[in-house]
Amino acid sequence: MMKPLTPIQPYAPRIAAMFCNWCTYAGADLAGVSRLQYPANFRVVRVPCTGRISAEMILHAFKQGADGVWVSGCHPGSCHYLEGNLYARRRFALLKNILEYAGLEPGRLHFSWISSSEATKFQETAIAVVETVRALGPATGFLAGIRREVA
Amino acid sequence: MNERQIFIREKAARLLSEGRVDRVLGYRKGSVPLRDAPFVARTPEEAGELVWSSFCLGNVAKALIGLPGKSAVVAQGCVSRNLAVLLAENRVLRENLVIIGVPCLGMADPAKVLAELGGREPASLVETAETLTVSGPGFTKDLKRQFMLRDNCHTCRHRNPVIHDFLAAETGPETGLGDIEKTSGLWEKFTPAERFEQLQATYKDCVRCYACRDACPLCSCPTCFVDQSDPQWVGKTQDFSEIAAYHLLRAFHCAGRCTDCGACESACPQTLKVRRLTSKLERDVRALFGREAGMDPSVPPPLATWKTDDPEGFMK
Amino acid sequence: MSQRILDHAGLSALFKALAQGRKAFVPATVQGKATWIPATDLAQADLSLANTAFSPKNFFFPQSECLMRFGADPAQAHEPMQPAPGLDQDLMLFGLRPCDAKALALLDRIFGQDPAMLDPYWADKRERTLLVGQSCPAPCPVCFCTGVGGHPFGTEGLDLLFTDLGESFLVEVISERGERAMKDLPMDAAKAAAGDEPGKKDLARREELKNQAEAALALDPANAPDLSALDKAEVLDLYESPLWERLAETCLNCGACTFCCPTCHCFDIQDETKVDEGRRVRNWDSCMSALFTKHGTGHNPRGRKLDRVRQRFMHKFKYIPIKNQEIGCVGCGRCVRLCPVNIDVRQVAAQMNGQAASASGGQRP
Repeated sequence: MMKPLTPIQPYAPRIAAMFCNWCTYAGADLAGVSRLQYPANFRVVRVPCTGRISAEMILHAFKQGADGVWVSGCHPGSCHYLEGNLYARRRFALLKNILEYAGLEPGRLHFSWISSSEATKFQETAIAVVETVRALGPATGFLAGIRREVA
Repeated sequence: MNERQIFIREKAARLLSEGRVDRVLGYRKGSVPLRDAPFVARTPEEAGELVWSSFCLGNVAKALIGLPGKSAVVAQGCVSRNLAVLLAENRVLRENLVIIGVPCLGMADPAKVLAELGGREPASLVETAETLTVSGPGFTKDLKRQFMLRDNCHTCRHRNPVIHDFLAAETGPETGLGDIEKTSGLWEKFTPAERFEQLQATYKDCVRCYACRDACPLCSCPTCFVDQSDPQWVGKTQDFSEIAAYHLLRAFHCAGRCTDCGACESACPQTLKVRRLTSKLERDVRALFGREAGMDPSVPPPLATWKTDDPEGFMK
Repeated sequence: MSQRILDHAGLSALFKALAQGRKAFVPATVQGKATWIPATDLAQADLSLANTAFSPKNFFFPQSECLMRFGADPAQAHEPMQPAPGLDQDLMLFGLRPCDAKALALLDRIFGQDPAMLDPYWADKRERTLLVGQSCPAPCPVCFCTGVGGHPFGTEGLDLLFTDLGESFLVEVISERGERAMKDLPMDAAKAAAGDEPGKKDLARREELKNQAEAALALDPANAPDLSALDKAEVLDLYESPLWERLAETCLNCGACTFCCPTCHCFDIQDETKVDEGRRVRNWDSCMSALFTKHGTGHNPRGRKLDRVRQRFMHKFKYIPIKNQEIGCVGCGRCVRLCPVNIDVRQVAAQMNGQAASASGGQRP
């Protein structure tokens, strides 16, 4: 018996987004209530501060099947904890370099500063992140064995 | 070499007999020709066993972490920088530390020596300033010491101790003959796919014994991320994703603190080039933040501080 | 046929014949490392290698081994767990050293210590693998098999053993499985690998090489640690020895020694899942790792580095001897070669023995 034809689905990237509670998460909220359209290809993890985000978390997202990771928080100078994002900035500069040095395609890992009032920037960035990752296709390099093996 | 060893022994014996330290951390002759053993001398007699050779391959700053009382450490350039890192991180207090500095001439790489022997096992080794003479059942071979140096010693930039209380010899040249800029970014010329292939080729034989972590004087967390079980960041299987996660995260945790001492590479039972990732990070820290680890114990490590004008070109 | 003399071509023919119907592995150097490679021709092997860098235990006890798969697929509801398939083909290791074969025999007694609970994953691979050994006329400087009850010409655990006599090879049939394998050779192949009966000269040469190997091992007194007092020693006398504190000073607690060791066999079982399906994997673990013994409560009976470094040596030289009346070390010398801080098992065993000898004065009530 022939299987029923399924319509060809456009590739939908899966992106893990980690937003700081005080700025970008509120910015996303504002974009929502302002009825700004943005793609729904990312799942948001709300964190207290970008300074809380470790390299483990980002790599773990890729291992568990994320095609892209997007980290966003407060602009320098407006951290709720004064300097959390400044430590994060140093850390992410090195992390992005080393992951891309090890073969992660540029365009899979994104960082941004988006304040709680920047709904338009949120919308623009969301579109840019999703479209960049969509163009790259599924990420396979760092995928955990169990995810690759048990399809 | 010999002058240094005589000084180390005399100084260690005196420090111990005068009761100024409880122990001296150094090396003694190994039971195999290509590796001398880290050693903790506790009496003036034991100080007589201390050696200084081309095969003092570990990093004795590691053995210092968590020790009570006062310790003396035999430290060449890289080890003194690791002591500076430990001091900056308050892992060690300066008043509990006596540093017997040794201007270093570079350590040899057992793998390079073995490669010259074509699978034969050496039974003994004699070294002079220029030459390593290796012999075993039915063979003797003279090797130029200069060509047998570890990669990191070849590209070393700080051979003389950065901090010390005593100096075992006149300070010598600061650098090896190699250029770290040529080797620390080896994969930069490749495409992402090629880089991933390089990563696989470099680390695929890793058996996850964690000797690189355990030899590293930076690794002093009470619970390492690989030993965390909830959340479990790194799985236990030999899947390459887990091996890659371990090496990437280990290297990242050393960022800004790594002195490129080479203890990780020397410890690896599979002779992997585990410095590929750490030396790239070391290069980035220099390029982005203008810092070299362990040059000044009074300054916090680069990732424990920030500047308003830190690079942020990668930020949207 | 229990002993045959073969020339070089004859040994190659024997290899080819035995490799029919088996996946054969031989020692060779790959990127500077001595390791086992799959081979179809004996020319691919480097039989002059002292030994492979890591032990061949991974053929029978892989570092990561999937034991079963499980899922919640409704179509499979009656059988939610699927055992992993065993070997798809019989194996042969050709050119195994006697120490490694002895280690496999020792592990047989551990994985099969209770007939009712025989480890099926281990047993399957052992039963289906032919072990063709190669005696060691020139033991390498860190080997010490004779010091722990082994021998460079030892046959324990092997099916066949060959000895390089220079011009020719002496092949000896050791086990029933070896005999069966020789009997089952295809006709034409058997002819090419038939060889001759060994003459008196050949057997004399074998004896000569054997004595030579023993003499080479005896050259270094470190290779024959005195272990005579260990047998009668009280466990607690050894357990509380100050020796461990000195060892723990420099031991890194890495797993290099346990992973390269042919007799270390500790493992950890992990379930890996994805939504509603997953697999159960057995992985090598190491007594050097704190996580290995950490309880769910957070308590760790081997919480200190000292406890862990002690465990490795006590297990090899006291606990296994108590249980199985044999030393748990075969003297392959790998950990001596690979320990990053040069903790030498020969010295540690000798120190344990010294402790046992001095404690046997009877201080302990």
